[in-house]
Amino acid sequence: MRHSLFSLFGWCALTVLGFAQAPPPGATVNSGGTAGDYKSSSAEGGADRVFNVNSDSVDMENGTMQWKGTTMNLGNSRAVRARFERYLAAPTDNGDMKRYVALLDQIQFLLSAQSINQDNYYRNQQEAFNLLFKAAEYDIDANNSLTIASQVQKIWVMKQEFRQIEITKNQMETLRKVQEGIIINRADNIEAANDARSEGGSKSKPLGKSSSGTTELGFKVKDEARTQAQILAKDAELLALGLKAKIEFQSQMVSFLMARRYRHSLITSSFYRVLFKGGSQNIVVGAKEVKEFFPISDFVPTLESFDMLSREAIKDTSKGMQTVDDLVKQGELYGAFERLQETFFLGEFEPVVMSYPQEKKREMLALWKDLRELQRLGDERDLGSVEGYVNKVRGRARDFPGAPILSKVTNAMNASNMSLLSAKGAALAGDNAKAEAALERAAKIWPQNPGVKDFATQVVSRQDTLAQKIPEFDRLMTESKWRDIYNKKLEYALALAQDKERSEKLRKVVNRVGELDANIQKASVLATQNNPYLAWDVIVEVYKTESDDIVLAKTRSDIAPLVANYAQLIGHAEKLEKDGAEAAALTAWLSAQDLNPASPACGAAVKRLAKSVAESAVIRSAGSVPAPPPAPAADDEVPVPAKK
Amino acid sequence: MSKINPLFFALGIPVVVIVILVAIVAPRMGGGGKFAELTPFSVDAYRKDWATLQGNSYRLDCQVEQQLAFVEGRGRVLAVKPIEKDPTRPSGRIPIFVPAGSADSFEVGQRFKCKLRVTRDLLVVEALERF
Repeated sequence: MRHSLFSLFGWCALTVLGFAQAPPPGATVNSGGTAGDYKSSSAEGGADRVFNVNSDSVDMENGTMQWKGTTMNLGNSRAVRARFERYLAAPTDNGDMKRYVALLDQIQFLLSAQSINQDNYYRNQQEAFNLLFKAAEYDIDANNSLTIASQVQKIWVMKQEFRQIEITKNQMETLRKVQEGIIINRADNIEAANDARSEGGSKSKPLGKSSSGTTELGFKVKDEARTQAQILAKDAELLALGLKAKIEFQSQMVSFLMARRYRHSLITSSFYRVLFKGGSQNIVVGAKEVKEFFPISDFVPTLESFDMLSREAIKDTSKGMQTVDDLVKQGELYGAFERLQETFFLGEFEPVVMSYPQEKKREMLALWKDLRELQRLGDERDLGSVEGYVNKVRGRARDFPGAPILSKVTNAMNASNMSLLSAKGAALAGDNAKAEAALERAAKIWPQNPGVKDFATQVVSRQDTLAQKIPEFDRLMTESKWRDIYNKKLEYALALAQDKERSEKLRKVVNRVGELDANIQKASVLATQNNPYLAWDVIVEVYKTESDDIVLAKTRSDIAPLVANYAQLIGHAEKLEKDGAEAAALTAWLSAQDLNPASPACGAAVKRLAKSVAESAVIRSAGSVPAPPPAPAADDEVPVPAKK
Repeated sequence: MSKINPLFFALGIPVVVIVILVAIVAPRMGGGGKFAELTPFSVDAYRKDWATLQGNSYRLDCQVEQQLAFVEGRGRVLAVKPIEKDPTRPSGRIPIFVPAGSADSFEVGQRFKCKLRVTRDLLVVEALERF
């Protein structure tokens, strides 16, 4: 059973499907490790030792039940499920079960070997026959006792017919003997006449018939032969009638057994044993079915075989219901449910099953519905909802084995997600075939994986996206809107995955804006650390190439008020340099450097301009090299600085 | 022996020497010095509009802060700090160009009195003396 589920739903859903089923043959349910073995097989029973007993289990999927190693067909799975569900939902049958069972036992007793004898042979039959009608008054009996009564009455009628035929046959035999006497007499007369003629003929030979009465004799012989044939026909009729009665009765007995009406089968068997002679006790109908329960070569089924099977089934049913009660008392509802399921299909019509309390059945029905729902989730591989339902079932039945289910579900989810990742990777690499296969695998494992849905949506809209994104990307590139491209980098990356040239452009833009953002971040941090001049240096430097960037402009406007004079000096210096006034620009840069001594920008500008000024100083002074200062006069009192 | 009291010499000679020194140094210390006749250089005016100062000569008392550049055969650019009469309002550093012909050496911290000429925007040192 479980194996079929494995193959049907795959490894991810096997447990989800399996938990609602009976355990595999040989499985046991240990109630807390202390309550003993609750195997529903009757392996402990002495009679069971002759059987090839595995275990009892119900296969809902195939509508079969294993009992004593033999598969019993319960009908199609849908009907089996419906019947069990109906049993759980139906109100408990009313009536005095004990009284009913006592009635059936009384009938069996009246027909049993210990009770019946020569004196009460007919009386006991009649009394048992009458009790059948009383038993039929109970709802639980479903009028099956009436069927037995009808069968018994039919046998009685047949016996009447049998006696009538016997009488007719006897009368015919008498007639045949009379006819036989006449024939003999006629034959003697003819022989005597022939003898007399032979004696007279030697003396004179009179004309006339040589013999008389031959024709009559022929007719008499014919009559006798007809009577003989009629007697033989009556014999055949008797034989057929007896065989018919036997077969019909045995058929009814087997029908009761197969319908799991064990008590009725026993009663039918008892009546059969009383009604038929010893020579008719061998089994003709159902021998093959009964042999399946006894895997012994050359086994000869007997009435006792039927009785033993019925009694074993009654005993197992009774024991099964005791186990159910015990498990319910211990709070192990799931185990109780499984045992009840097995017991129900073994002894559905047993009074102990039919009288099971309705409130307990309701509890089982609620669990059954939850299990069915969980099974449905497994069928649909709705793994996301399984956990919630497992917890719900656990809340109802604490012995429900939910951990393996959750483990399998988690593994299935991970497998699906990994396949999805593989599909994404393949799609980005342009390997559509691989992406499709991986996506299919992910969806097969977990159809409702939200990632699958998202990815599928992305794939479906990818063509549209490509049609839109490429022109958009080209336009933004043309307009140098790096920030806009950067903000949609993932969309463009997906859309331009197949376009190497554009992908390279995108990569450069992403790097460029990334670097810009890093500088903006650096400036912001410097400003926060009360170092606005250095922050401004960073901004100014970046601004030279990224003057259109909105984020940079905002950061610049945020920092500008903090460094107004510094910014003004730098601006002024740049303007002067641009106008060719390098010395004045150098002056402005020096002033800026005074404000921000650590500024690399100021240091570089000062160095650059100083060198430039030094190199072009002569030219700038209109070609006139300034005369060196005159040599100090002898009476100059200002000391010359000491030379190095 | 001499009728003059030796105490007179002991006190008189240092007094005379001091008087002579004061007579020589005081005029120089009072802002006059070698380029006393020149107008003091206004850093603010230069920064504000150097063009209006073009061609003029000025006197600048300054302290060498840093040599910014040196080109062999051309000269050097020094960053100097003007010595203000009002030290509470420092005017910041300015660059001056010392042509290559000058035989002077410049060390950081040295003080000079300079004669500057504003050649376009460049402050060219035409003469200088250390003080």
